[in-house]
Amino acid sequence: MEVSVGKTIGRRLFVALIALGSVLGFSFGTAKAAEDGYSIRAQVRDQVRTADGKADNQPLSGVEITVTDANGEIVGVALTDAEGVVIVSVPSRADYTVSLNEETLPSGEKLDAKTPAVQNILTDSFITKTKVVTYFTGESQTVRQPGFERVAQRISDGIRLGLILAMCSVGLSLIFGTTGLTNFAHGEMVTFGGIATFVFNVTGLAFLGSLSFIPGIRPDGTFHIFWAAPLGIILGGGFGWALNKRIFGPLRRRGVGLVTQMVLTVGLSIALRNFFLSRFEGRTRPFSDFSLQRAWDLGPVNITPRDFVVSILSLLILIVTALGLRFTRLGKATRAVSDNPDLASATGIDSEKVIRLVWIIGGALAAAGGVFRGLDEQVSFDMGGRLLFLLFAGITLGGLGSAFGALVGGFVVGVMVEVSSLVVPTELKTAPALLVLILVLLLRPQGILGRAQRVG
Amino acid sequence: MDVERTYGEVATRARQSLRDVERVPGVCKPNSILTANNIRREFGGIIAVDVDHFEVQEGSITALIGPNGAGKTTFFNLLTGFDQPNLGSWTFQGKDMSKVASHRTAAFGMVRTFQLTKSLTKLSVIENMRLGATDQKGEKWWNGLFSAVWKGQEAEITERADELLTRFQMSHMRDEYAGALSGGQRKLLEMARALMTNPTLVMLDEPMAGVNPALKQSLNEHIRGLRDQGMTVLFVEHDMDMVHDVSDWVIVMAEGRIIAEGTPDDIAKNSAVIDAYLGNRQGQSLLEEE
Amino acid sequence: MDWNLIFENSLKGFIGINAVYFAIAALGLNVQFGYTGLLNFGQAGFMACGAYGLGMTAHYFDISFWWGIPLGILFSVVLGLLMGIPTLRLRADYLAIVTIASAEIIRLVVRSVKFKTYFGGSDGINGFSSTFRALGNDFGIEESNRYGFWPFRFTGRELWVLIVGWLIVAIFGFVVYKLMKSPWGRVLKAIREDEDAVKSLGKNVYSYKMQSLILGGVIGTVSGMIFALDRGSVQPDNYSRDLTFYILTALVLGGVAKVSGSIVGSMMFWGLFTFMDNFLRQVTKDPVTIGNVTIMKSTQVGQLNYILIGITLILLMVYRPQGVFGNRKEMAFDGR
Repeated sequence: MEVSVGKTIGRRLFVALIALGSVLGFSFGTAKAAEDGYSIRAQVRDQVRTADGKADNQPLSGVEITVTDANGEIVGVALTDAEGVVIVSVPSRADYTVSLNEETLPSGEKLDAKTPAVQNILTDSFITKTKVVTYFTGESQTVRQPGFERVAQRISDGIRLGLILAMCSVGLSLIFGTTGLTNFAHGEMVTFGGIATFVFNVTGLAFLGSLSFIPGIRPDGTFHIFWAAPLGIILGGGFGWALNKRIFGPLRRRGVGLVTQMVLTVGLSIALRNFFLSRFEGRTRPFSDFSLQRAWDLGPVNITPRDFVVSILSLLILIVTALGLRFTRLGKATRAVSDNPDLASATGIDSEKVIRLVWIIGGALAAAGGVFRGLDEQVSFDMGGRLLFLLFAGITLGGLGSAFGALVGGFVVGVMVEVSSLVVPTELKTAPALLVLILVLLLRPQGILGRAQRVG
Repeated sequence: MDVERTYGEVATRARQSLRDVERVPGVCKPNSILTANNIRREFGGIIAVDVDHFEVQEGSITALIGPNGAGKTTFFNLLTGFDQPNLGSWTFQGKDMSKVASHRTAAFGMVRTFQLTKSLTKLSVIENMRLGATDQKGEKWWNGLFSAVWKGQEAEITERADELLTRFQMSHMRDEYAGALSGGQRKLLEMARALMTNPTLVMLDEPMAGVNPALKQSLNEHIRGLRDQGMTVLFVEHDMDMVHDVSDWVIVMAEGRIIAEGTPDDIAKNSAVIDAYLGNRQGQSLLEEE
Repeated sequence: MDWNLIFENSLKGFIGINAVYFAIAALGLNVQFGYTGLLNFGQAGFMACGAYGLGMTAHYFDISFWWGIPLGILFSVVLGLLMGIPTLRLRADYLAIVTIASAEIIRLVVRSVKFKTYFGGSDGINGFSSTFRALGNDFGIEESNRYGFWPFRFTGRELWVLIVGWLIVAIFGFVVYKLMKSPWGRVLKAIREDEDAVKSLGKNVYSYKMQSLILGGVIGTVSGMIFALDRGSVQPDNYSRDLTFYILTALVLGGVAKVSGSIVGSMMFWGLFTFMDNFLRQVTKDPVTIGNVTIMKSTQVGQLNYILIGITLILLMVYRPQGVFGNRKEMAFDGR
């Protein structure tokens, strides 16, 4: 009995993945010239200020760039083009040195001290096939906005991020609450939403081109984002449902331990991430609608109409979710099972039904988070995975197992991450979230709204 | 070893010392080994334990009984450091135990077993037993590598373990994984393992739960054997026959409070106790009956 | 289809330097996870401690590379304490969360521009391994010579690292084996199954867990050092969450709570990985198509391998969580 369940799960998983791969067997996106070899892409930019005082980077052409290998042999010499770019093919993934001939800079231009003329490239810095090296001339022109404006802008950015994190966290927290499982593949469920929507919106499904009589659906099978987003979210819910039905449900019924299931989610995360990477490839790509917009200037805060609408929508979704959890029968049952599974089943609530609902809603919300994030920051194979640790920080802060805790915690973490970039370098702005995580665990491990008994 | 119903010298002494004790809840004992004062534990508005005074006579077998939900296991957890009370303090052999962590109570001589047996199923029976010994040099990580340091002690421990296993008639299961044992055997193993710590006070949480009747008599004898060797035993139980059979003293809890104390015979006749079990006086203070 | 090449590379992968540093890291992870039940999902962070400990001797401190060893170990002890103190009294999940977060932060910090003077930023650090390589020469292994017989042909430089590496694997394997057979190991195995039982017997569970975490972390740190010495450079993006997960896969494949499991699992992992990689690259010399649709091109081979790793882990958990060498009865996964 045991073995046959395992075989079934294994077989189904394999088949599903191969099927998915074949049906959508092409890369998700516009054709990209396959790069067979390695190359170094050098770009030269001049930092200037535009007429209305904003910072800008102008390309410098005709600058001589030389690439030499570890033995000092010249691999390639070229001049930058009109875009200020030169691409030099290199024979293999190894150490190289890139040198800029300062005498070929336009008169009066000097290199910024940040980017010296000679730069060493180590083998391992070839993350993809192309290593990018940027040279700046002039001085950094980024104007520091007056303090108040910067703070307000950060808070606005933080609210946007916080709403998205809150949406993604609810599912994670409820899955933990109802089944005890910490789902390390939740980030991939977020990415799934973004990519699924991308497939509808940008790649298109050619065989659906015949539906183009419906407004918003184009003959090449691409859907306007107004169609694509809900479709992506629904698929996300379906994905969650499928995971529970085919994998976690059977394992639970078999009595398989939580640690085993957790390690399984790790495997799922690896498989999904790399699947997305293989099909979507490493770049970030925007949706085809609303991606280029001018920001509204709302006093101290700049926000694009798109981001504004996304925030409103996120808020609405969160409110609906919160109301649903609070007032509907199913919502109350969910909170009961999540809060105290033993007690809940003693009062006759069908936990399996609740768990199924949790996976569906959790998957849909994660997908929604992915779609909105994709509108905000473009789609990439990694968009959800990068958020995973912030999601964990949020639900720990709010209380593992509490849905409202996830909403609150996720939101707070989002705001905090953006606001902290005022004092911490941007590249490290997620670090304070870790600090919060540790403080919460030291002082009040059950989080703001969690139960003390759950903590162990 | 004569374990029929003839009371040994120790047992007689235990019963005699309790003969003159007043049959009143929270009464003081001539030689209290474990004393608790004003212990209070609340869970979000529900008062689980509210004990004014509690004493266990040294060298006796004391039973802690009461209907479900009376707070007996919670009380146990508080006394052994597995839970923290909101209020109260207690001493063991005169030493204040209120701030002592759960893993240190064993060092003081208090050892406990659990309602849901915690025999370590992935270790063998003999390994379970060896684990119980305290002050093992080999358990320090810097000694672990150098078997010369701890081999001698390990041999002593193994000898002691084997003796105990023989006494509990489990020698033939010595090398089996504890997971292969039956429920009753696991209870015995947990008890035997607890004895490896050389305790002064043995606290058993429902030792009879899930044990088949044939094994119960044997367990009874082992518990008497503990007292005869000079240990004090405090146990929680539901099986009234067993309680009546083996205990020197009985303390009754209901709704978090101690409602009666006395010898098994006294308690069997106590109407307040009977009511508590039958639930006739739900909601009313049981102490008002006195 | 060049089977010769596939075979040769697979065998080299089986015993190569990747298998070595994986084996060491997996031994450390085994102490924490396999024997004690601690969910350390940040082993990559410990490895970074070792690598950067070495790297900083050249990049920041300008002292002999030998100081890098105690420095790296110091880093990992501090890291272990930082991660363990808030979490070891709580549920296992919390350690998992904190370790993932910590490893990620470490990666962000060492690759940041702000701390570039200490850690070299996204360019990484190199130039600290010359002493080590010179040592190889002293032992008579010339760097550029080729040694060995088919299919095990290595340059002197590779061979030296391999010898040192496998020696370390043997030493740590022996150490872990002895420790786990000792009373100390017994306590850890008991903790893995039921902490309360162990507490009731008078052992300080929290302290033991911390010891296990730190020991496993220090072993991981040594793994990072070997990794860095082989490459001759330290690159922040190598120490990612994915690395920990792959090591976990190798460990689970071989079998948790068995020293042989960590070592053989790592060898199997890399042998199979190298095989699949070579095999698939040969297969996709021309893109694989069904009709007009391209199923697989050569640029996707790398990711396909990793997808297979993920699937392997899933199938292992469903079918055979004790791995190839593990003992079902001894495996305490299920008793959470």
